Amino acid sequence: MAACRALVSRAVLPLHYHHVCRGVMLTHIREKKRWMKAYSLIMERKRKMEGPPPPKPRSQQPNFDYHAEVEAFSARLRESFSLELLKTAFVNVCYLRSEEERRRALGLDLETTVFNLKDNGELCVHGQQFTEAFLSDWCRGSFPSLPQEGVAAIVGHLTGSEVMCHVARNLTVEELTMSAEFPVPDETLQGTFFAVIGALEQSSGSVQARLFIRDFLVTQLRGKDLFDLWEVVDPMGLLVKELTWKGIALPEPRLIQSAGASTVLPLYFVGLYSDGKLLAQGPGETVLAAEEEAARVALRKLYGFTENRRPWDYTAPYEQLQKPSAQALTSG
Amino acid sequence: MTARGTPSRFLQSVLHNGVGRYVCQLKRISLIFSKKGQGSLGVRDFIEEGVVDFAKNNPGTVVYISPQSCRIPKIVAEYLNGNVKEETVTNKTSQEIVELITKLSNQSGLDIIRIRKPFHTDSPSIQGQWHPFTNRPLSIHPVGPQTK
Repeated sequence: MAACRALVSRAVLPLHYHHVCRGVMLTHIREKKRWMKAYSLIMERKRKMEGPPPPKPRSQQPNFDYHAEVEAFSARLRESFSLELLKTAFVNVCYLRSEEERRRALGLDLETTVFNLKDNGELCVHGQQFTEAFLSDWCRGSFPSLPQEGVAAIVGHLTGSEVMCHVARNLTVEELTMSAEFPVPDETLQGTFFAVIGALEQSSGSVQARLFIRDFLVTQLRGKDLFDLWEVVDPMGLLVKELTWKGIALPEPRLIQSAGASTVLPLYFVGLYSDGKLLAQGPGETVLAAEEEAARVALRKLYGFTENRRPWDYTAPYEQLQKPSAQALTSG
Repeated sequence: MTARGTPSRFLQSVLHNGVGRYVCQLKRISLIFSKKGQGSLGVRDFIEEGVVDFAKNNPGTVVYISPQSCRIPKIVAEYLNGNVKEETVTNKTSQEIVELITKLSNQSGLDIIRIRKPFHTDSPSIQGQWHPFTNRPLSIHPVGPQTK
């Protein structure tokens, strides 16, 4: 049937067609479509030229209900947020401006259509101050001998945009953020996360907010080394300062072990002795590098930030958070 | 295939999940089914009986029901770390769908690929990692074989 139809069409016309009525012609066939290959090749070429499509925010993809998502956000974190404060926390200034411009461009009269969304500026500032204050207190409490620069470095790392954005993205803050651009820029996301913490503090009180910061930001310190977070250029000078302040004798470096001195990979172990007792020892490729590493190991031991320290006890009740000196020996 | 030919990862958790508080990693689950097709019978039964209980027991997960004209009913699960998992549930019974959804809600969103080690620790050594110079007598001279 198809063969004879093909014979007929090839003999008479290049395309099979059939009159539906006067003036209407259909060119559909149920066999293999002749145009399919050319069409697919053209579409493939177009896709390769244009590249992948720009990412769309989740709110513009199917199956997204904002109110339900915000309630689920609050339930998932086991916190009871006040929903208006939380929704305000997600609204950024750039979003309000872009919305106003869009409405103006569409010709909507700004006075009749009321646009009463508040932005999250105040909540953001408030949340940032609260977070930084709590993190500084926590640091000082769990590492009492850490100097001010060290505390500032750790707090700066935890409230910096890398860590905050990583935590925010894995808690769906990015999907709920209302901002002008997508993907949401890092600073906007960081500000939104601070605003969420501010909203939590105003809804449930400072106790819950402190537990929240402890559970999500302090855990990001796990597995991190002190001198990755805090850049110290001269560890030996810092060590000398610390020991003089404590009244301990100054460190004397001594070569403890050496191996492969004339090879491509020499290894020297230098030990720092104060008053005849070993403070710390460290390895290095040259004697100077080994001495610097030994100074760093000594500083880590002094500040209690060693790799084998006892981890922070997250099951401790909240009263222990208020008296962090009680956990001074157990530092996270 | 072989271990080297297939992807693998280390044991990890999203944002150190259990350490602080436990957060259910499933954020959204969408049930896509057809109102009349016979493959979606199990899904329709599940929606009648079990979906409301599931939604009540998991307040942190948003459940979306979308009846569409589709030949194969699907369950699309989205996780906090951004991974999306689609499971086809054609011709499954309501009980099987309940088990499947419980399994999806207990997973974290990390890929189901070979885990290289069944353990992970942030403090691998308490007394200090052994290296060839541990417990060796100190010497300023280059090391050689120990004379006992």
